[in-house]
Amino acid sequence: MGKISYTRLKGSQNFRLRLLLATLSSTPIIINDIRAESTFPGLRPHEVSFLRLLEKVSDDCAVEVNETGTKLKYLPGIVMGGRHLVHDCGTSRSIGYFLEPLIVLCLFGKKPLTIRLQGITNDSKDPSVDTFRSTTLPLLKQFGIPSEGLELKIESRGVSPLGGGEVILSVPIVQDTLKAITWIDEGMVKRIRGTTFSTRVSVQFENTMLHAARGIFNHYLPDVHIYTDHKAGPQAGKSPGYGISLVAETTSGCYISADMAVSYGRGDDEDEPEDEKKDLSPPGDIGEKIASTLLGEIEQGGVVDSTHQGLLFLLCALCPQDVSKVRVGKLSPYGIEVLRNIRDFLGVKFVIKPDPSTETVILKCVGCGLKNLSRKAS
Amino acid sequence: MAKDGENSEQPHKSHRIRKSGASVKKKSKSKPNSTEGLSKEQQKINNPKAFAFNSSVKAKRLQSRATEKEQKRLHVPTIDRNTGEPAPFVIVVQGPPQVGKSLLIKCLVKHYTKHNLPEVRGPITIVSGKQRRLQFVECPNDINGMIDCAKYADLALLLIDGSYGFEMETFEFLNILQNHGFPRVMGVLTHLDKFEDVKKLKKTKQRLKHRFWTEIYDGAKLFYLSGLIHGKYTKREVHNLARFISVMKFPPLSWRVSHPYILVDRFEDMTPPEKVHMNSKCDRNVTLYGYLRGCNLKKGTKAHIAGVGDYPLSGITALADPCPLPSAAKKKGLRDKEKLFYAPMSGLGELLYDKDAVYININDHFVQFSKDDGAMAEGTQKGKQRDVGVELVKSLQNTKYSVDEKLEKSFITLFGKKPNMSSEPSTGLIDAQDVVDRDVPLEPVETYESDVKDEDSESDEEGDTEDENGLESLDGERANNNQSSSKSINDSSDEETFSKSEQHHVTQRNFKEQIDLHGGRVRRKAVFENEMDIDNKVPDEDNDDKNDTKTNRGQSSGGGFFDKLKEEIELQKQMNIAELNELDEITRVEIEGFRTGTYLRIEVRDVPYEMVENFDPCHPILVGGLALGEENVGYMQVRLKRHRWHKKVLKTRDPIIVSIGWRRYQTVPIYAIEDRNGRHRMLKYTPEHMHCLAMFWGPLAPPHTGVVAIQNLSNNQASFRITATATVLEFNHATTIKKKIKLSGKPCKIFKKTAFIADLFTSDLEIARFQGAAIRTVSGIRGQVKKAAKEEIANKSKKKGGVVKGAIARCTFEDKIKMSDIVFLRGWTPVEVPCFYNPLTTALQPRDKTWQGMKTVAELRREHNLPVPVNKDSLYRPIERKPKKFNPLVIPKSLQAALPFASKPKDLPSRKRPLLENRRAVVMEPHERKVHALVQHLQLIRSEKMKKRKLKEDAKKKAHEVERAKEEQISKKRQREERRERYREQDKLKKKVRRNTES
Repeated sequence: MGKISYTRLKGSQNFRLRLLLATLSSTPIIINDIRAESTFPGLRPHEVSFLRLLEKVSDDCAVEVNETGTKLKYLPGIVMGGRHLVHDCGTSRSIGYFLEPLIVLCLFGKKPLTIRLQGITNDSKDPSVDTFRSTTLPLLKQFGIPSEGLELKIESRGVSPLGGGEVILSVPIVQDTLKAITWIDEGMVKRIRGTTFSTRVSVQFENTMLHAARGIFNHYLPDVHIYTDHKAGPQAGKSPGYGISLVAETTSGCYISADMAVSYGRGDDEDEPEDEKKDLSPPGDIGEKIASTLLGEIEQGGVVDSTHQGLLFLLCALCPQDVSKVRVGKLSPYGIEVLRNIRDFLGVKFVIKPDPSTETVILKCVGCGLKNLSRKAS
Repeated sequence: MAKDGENSEQPHKSHRIRKSGASVKKKSKSKPNSTEGLSKEQQKINNPKAFAFNSSVKAKRLQSRATEKEQKRLHVPTIDRNTGEPAPFVIVVQGPPQVGKSLLIKCLVKHYTKHNLPEVRGPITIVSGKQRRLQFVECPNDINGMIDCAKYADLALLLIDGSYGFEMETFEFLNILQNHGFPRVMGVLTHLDKFEDVKKLKKTKQRLKHRFWTEIYDGAKLFYLSGLIHGKYTKREVHNLARFISVMKFPPLSWRVSHPYILVDRFEDMTPPEKVHMNSKCDRNVTLYGYLRGCNLKKGTKAHIAGVGDYPLSGITALADPCPLPSAAKKKGLRDKEKLFYAPMSGLGELLYDKDAVYININDHFVQFSKDDGAMAEGTQKGKQRDVGVELVKSLQNTKYSVDEKLEKSFITLFGKKPNMSSEPSTGLIDAQDVVDRDVPLEPVETYESDVKDEDSESDEEGDTEDENGLESLDGERANNNQSSSKSINDSSDEETFSKSEQHHVTQRNFKEQIDLHGGRVRRKAVFENEMDIDNKVPDEDNDDKNDTKTNRGQSSGGGFFDKLKEEIELQKQMNIAELNELDEITRVEIEGFRTGTYLRIEVRDVPYEMVENFDPCHPILVGGLALGEENVGYMQVRLKRHRWHKKVLKTRDPIIVSIGWRRYQTVPIYAIEDRNGRHRMLKYTPEHMHCLAMFWGPLAPPHTGVVAIQNLSNNQASFRITATATVLEFNHATTIKKKIKLSGKPCKIFKKTAFIADLFTSDLEIARFQGAAIRTVSGIRGQVKKAAKEEIANKSKKKGGVVKGAIARCTFEDKIKMSDIVFLRGWTPVEVPCFYNPLTTALQPRDKTWQGMKTVAELRREHNLPVPVNKDSLYRPIERKPKKFNPLVIPKSLQAALPFASKPKDLPSRKRPLLENRRAVVMEPHERKVHALVQHLQLIRSEKMKKRKLKEDAKKKAHEVERAKEEQISKKRQREERRERYREQDKLKKKVRRNTES
């Protein structure tokens, strides 16, 4: 009946986070000035694709974008979930960009979700699908999400610029609420696992990466297994590329990950002319680099790596009205943005207390008590 | 030691059990056989064979039943997030008018605080024990007030006029309670002093008790208040009632645990006075005060003010508790000073610090009988309620002249002229002024006090008598002791579900409503046919039940899983407390919000001025916090059942008023039922005794929320006002309800099995949509829609003279159809749920006015005197079927020629003369003639005989009939007499009974 009061926001930053939180808290939002000053104003293709994805999984959500794409009006609907959905994520961002909000959103859906996502599976900007499988899904289990039905299956791989990868994601729904966690013990690293992949290149690339990485880890611990996943034929997507994803598992069940992928970037993104392609870094360097990145993440401390901080905070904020307590390393800029947005949308504030002895940060919050309201009462 | 030795040597004489006399009889009555006295376990031990299993099947069944019962008892443990002092428990006193609600509250308040409460207005908070505070609220008598009360009651005291019986209000309130999470309920029977016959009183008590039990659960507490002494309930009974209240445990209710709410016990208008002077109808800023209940309230939460609307809470501040629990010093009971008591709407409470002002209220308790006070109290014109003694003392104080002087001045009046007494109370004008002066805050910087406030404060000075004596303080102590050693009162929290199933025992059949004028007002009595039957059978069964439940309770609860869950929850709770207590106060409030039990001052901006204008302290305001997404609107699907006492079924699209969560609003539902294939088929009316789905538009509520639907809000309404009850299943943004649609068309051209059907569709687009759809003719020939017919063909049919409105569809059938056939297409069309909801703004109008919302079509028709439209085609008429006239069968010539001769129609010329066979004469032989004549004679004789006999029989029959008619008349007469006599007797008996009950 009455007027809908929209929350007004500005700018293009944290686009998917804002939409995700708006949907979870069912707050209608208007975002103004989306890249109004830039050369290419308005929404980017991946943002449009994300909006389409939201429309696909929810019921009666209304999205209005003005002609230039600089203004967005979003009226959230009810998350429906469903099976046999297909979404083309495009090639401007990888599937990892879509996976994170989608998982959180569909936990609070009416029905479990099974969706086929097409696009780029691995790139260097977003967490790769391998990392998702190895790190993000175990993270969710900490919050009491049933492990059956929570699955990510990699059908084929695709790297930029042309993509062609395909994954099938299935997310269960939470019955009532999540479970508040106290997770401050990061433990010691007990094993390192990983996956390398290569599409449309020789399998030798993988072996080189693998050896380089192992060479570094073997100084510290013996339990290092890195699997190779060489794709060929239609499963290899449309572009050549290779990459590696590593995860360190600690004694207290924390997973700390790092990943890297190498491929030719998208033509229009790069500044250099199309014809002379930039030389890709050699696989040996990649292996060493990824190993040192992972060691850096481990050194930072905290129960999650820096890429998963945002997700962790978000899940803590969605918990019932109990105290959640987590320890993370240095707060990443994205994590800080997540905290700010959580405060704005859910009204949940965190107590941030630095722990100087380990150079980590302990965050405490009382969840907002979000219940899965869209689930049908039997 | 020596003593001990002595004792062992010479033991005391053992107790000899009585073997005859009254005490033995009493005992034997309670246990007819010797085994009865033993517990079941003991019996089992004593005689194991008797309890052995005879059949393995039965044993298995018993075992499975036992485990099932065990599991049924278990509930998912809920975390209790309330820490610190709990908010005062709300005790709602509900009952039909003039049943003694206010008196009960007054008596209870008197019991706890030793203060006389002049008037019950708004919530009254008192400290009842060291750990417990209570807040008494009188439930207003309109249905809106009842609904709101049901939403915040922790304990409902249902007052029932024992001399009259149950009234509809009680059942209405019970139903509302059950659907909004069932808080604790206790019945209180009053007016029992009207019974003169003890036996009858006993019978009535039992009957009412059992009726009460069917409604709630067996063993629900029904309290008896036997009568009044000095216009008050007897002390002992009030004390007992208070004791029951003090040991009561209040189970958490799922809705309330997840939503913060405040029962407003103080209300101020904070609008700048100049703004009000400029425009008296400007939007107001109000402050609401009350204890926070339910769950923690964060800043920035939106809230629903019942009867007003949704408002953001613009300013929340925690205030010092006006009625704090006594300090935790170790001692028994409460000291008199700690017997605090806070009721600003009734004008009570001592010192109030506020953000804006300080209020001092001097208690009458200390003022005693000073002169000014007396005068002032007189002015409030409520002197009638005061004690007679106080009245006398005060009037004495006011006299200017002594008795002697008066006697001198007085003269005897012969006519009824009123003596002009100087001791008459002074007029109200001056005193009102006084009161205002007294109650003005010390720093009236920006306070603006509405008239309402003034009225409130007037009453506070009234007739408080002295503290009577120390007798009751003793009682209070004892009550506290009881509290600590409280026997656990039935703490299974399954009343919510249990009682619902229980109430179905009472079917519609045996329920009747009786409206009559009784005790000066129209009462709606609930009459039950089987009341007497219950009386007779229940006691025995009831004992068994009790035994069963007791043994069950004794068993260990749940398996390891259950214990683990409980443990986890406890751990989490401890952790929460530990973590939050680390923080400083400000951060803690930021993180977790205001804790339950804090006294809050809430500022709400821009409420309509009517809220202030029509504020009535007898209708407490409820402020309910809204969770995430609850302020949004959408379609809601509920599982609804018409209430079995509501007389009519409900019609789709007739507006109903629903109460969901904190809200009450009017909406337009569409009823539906789920078909076996999952389709939601629209229903025009709700089923009579079944659940159905209802879909309506409105502010969303989470699934499992209880819903109460009503149609009529008026108070003078005779029938049961609750029309339906429901629970929310889910909410959607799209509707899925469909209804059947039958499209009919006529063939306009028929080929062999193909036909062009006109009038079935309106456009070619529609045909395209329905391609492949199954169709059927009336005669049962099935077919399929193929495609839109080509333009030319349609034109051709037009040329032929047929006027075709819509598009023509080409259809094929399994057989050739006739031009006279009607073709049907059966389909489903979505039904739109009207996007309408209208919040009930009952707080924005005078409370005695009935809220008027959208009217039903029937009501509108009645108002405007419009007839119900009748579709002529839908009327039933006698079917006239003309006999079909068939043409004579004509065999074609060619076929005739081919037939065999026997089958060929023969073309014979008609004869003029009959055949020889018929024509010739018969000449008989003489013997033959004789025989023939004889036979003829015999036949004649026989027929004559028969004729005679028949005549005779007829005459006999007639005579018999006459006889019978006579007899019948006589017997009828006799029966009528008998019946008359019987009725006369019954009537007499009835009259007698009525006279007895009335007396």
